[in-house]
Amino acid sequence: MASTSTAAAPKSTDPLEPALLIEGAQTDASLNASLFDHVWTAPGKGWWGLFGIALMGLAMLGIGLTYTLYKGIGAWGNNIPVGWAYDIINFVWWIGIGHAGTLISAILLLLQQKWRTSINRFAEAMTLFAVMCALLFPLFHTGRPWFAAYWLLPYPSVNGIWPQFKSPLVWDVFAVSTYFTISLLFWFLGLIPDLASLRDSSKSPTKRMIYGIFAMGWRGSGRHWAEYKWSYLLLAGLSTPLVLSVHTIVSFDFATSVLPGWHTTIFPPYFVAGAVFSGFAMVLSWMVPARHFLGLKHVVTMKHLENMNKVILATGMMVSYGYVMEHFIAWYSGNPYEFAVFFKVRQRGPFAPIYWLMVFCNVVVPQIFWSKKARTNILIMWIAALLVNVGMWCERFVIIVTSLHRDFLPSKWELYAPTWVDWSIYIGTIGLFSTLFLLFLKFVPAVAATEVKELRHEMAHHAHGATAAGEAHG
Amino acid sequence: MSHDSSFRPRRFVLGQFADSDRLLLATRQMREKGHTGLDTHTPYPVHGIEAALGLGRAKIPTIVLLGAIAGACLAYSMIYYMNVFDFPINVANRPQHSPPSMLPITFELAVLLGGTSAFFGLFGLLKLPEPYHPVFEAESFRRASIDAFFLSAEVPEGGNPADVAVDMRTFGSTEVQIVEESER
Repeated sequence: MASTSTAAAPKSTDPLEPALLIEGAQTDASLNASLFDHVWTAPGKGWWGLFGIALMGLAMLGIGLTYTLYKGIGAWGNNIPVGWAYDIINFVWWIGIGHAGTLISAILLLLQQKWRTSINRFAEAMTLFAVMCALLFPLFHTGRPWFAAYWLLPYPSVNGIWPQFKSPLVWDVFAVSTYFTISLLFWFLGLIPDLASLRDSSKSPTKRMIYGIFAMGWRGSGRHWAEYKWSYLLLAGLSTPLVLSVHTIVSFDFATSVLPGWHTTIFPPYFVAGAVFSGFAMVLSWMVPARHFLGLKHVVTMKHLENMNKVILATGMMVSYGYVMEHFIAWYSGNPYEFAVFFKVRQRGPFAPIYWLMVFCNVVVPQIFWSKKARTNILIMWIAALLVNVGMWCERFVIIVTSLHRDFLPSKWELYAPTWVDWSIYIGTIGLFSTLFLLFLKFVPAVAATEVKELRHEMAHHAHGATAAGEAHG
Repeated sequence: MSHDSSFRPRRFVLGQFADSDRLLLATRQMREKGHTGLDTHTPYPVHGIEAALGLGRAKIPTIVLLGAIAGACLAYSMIYYMNVFDFPINVANRPQHSPPSMLPITFELAVLLGGTSAFFGLFGLLKLPEPYHPVFEAESFRRASIDAFFLSAEVPEGGNPADVAVDMRTFGSTEVQIVEESER
């Protein structure tokens, strides 16, 4: 769509020359034009096609949830002992996907990683939508969501009862709602200067007014920037421990129980690593097509993609280490139930194919990123990212279903199979996510233009300062 | 009383600069010359602008700290009141007041209130949303959020905007205009 004067950046063949974060000769005005281009132009056929598919997915969500409300939770495949199944698998999967957004925007900001600038907006939006999808599952698992507020929140009802705050499920409520709120505020705060740019570069009065309302009268004031920078930094500082705490608390749902396969202290770090792993894979799955179709190749360069692949490799190794340790402790503890779950039920039981698919996707596939060729090949990285998404879903399935369906008493053992309602809701949330994401790509700049301009200014200053002996810098 | 006598439009002198270095320099010179009500308008935060404008320490960190402390205290006392005092549930004789189990929510609410005070505290401090400001009267000011650097000076009552404009031009502004608040 966007074809600015930047398409053909000179490719350096010198391996020692660092790859560029912003390609081509850019000015603030050209960045403004190219980064907002996809907001101003009408969406193409590709966007409408994807949007149509996404809406079909959304319809499936509507059908699945309506049927659940009409029939009750019995419409799902859950049984006793597998009382938790797709609802919690998908909840954990979506929450994990959201974590990459916070990691990219907050942790990489604190670590002053410059390459975060072009992808943070994109990833933060993904966080928001992923958490929305995640929240649907526990909410509907209560069966009567309209009563959920009474059970979950400390609401002063006439019954005079309060939530049991020693339960990790109540911690979850607070953790996930805090996570959603803080992510939303952080995202919107970062968006305000860009909304002001959109207001000021809009051509029609209606668009100017709409973006003007959301820009809240931002005028780039130096006095405002001084406080704004602190606010943004502190929100990043608060998000960093928050993101670690959220998946830690999600893992407590399992780790504080006594079920073999769940009752383990490695869960919190292993869940967080898995979350970042799956989240980066999801960012990559969307970023690869988006940078092509939105004309963002000059700011989302091969260096960004390569760095993301390196993070996938690193977190993939952490996840693999988690698997190895789980199995080692199951053997080393001498606990027969733990041993049975890890070495018999998971590897050779009825759900063994899912276990081996998990091992393939999460342990074997990321190893391809040791090779620079694979890290810089668009098709390979895209397929690998999709496989990692599949693998992480399988991991949650393996943890939840295999542990539940074979616990201590053989007389309690039962197989699990999802129903069409389970599938419909799961695919439906993918539809919801895609719908929201496509709308985001249409109405909001996918790349934080203000931050890219700042980065360009900084890099130009550094290059300039090197020759002019940095006289202007105090 | 009539509108004419009660409404005194605020007047601003708005100068555009070629780049951020010249803006920084001019801001410092204008301030040293004794001009007040100075503010810069840039598309992105410019390094060193706080010093050039002579701003004090940012207030947001204190607000966030207070918010976070308030959140932690609120959470801990809420859980204590509900689970220990008002509605104790005895589960296998575990202690009613069990600090480890209270920490996750204490932490979450500290983050929640700290984060919301970072956000809403900012808007309180900046007095945003403020859809109208006299600087928006200048048509070229649209570029302030895109690629241009502006310095604005509010002209005090009884002051002469032309004097301010002359100074701004001396200090390197490429284009100076005087804007006046419009009556609504």
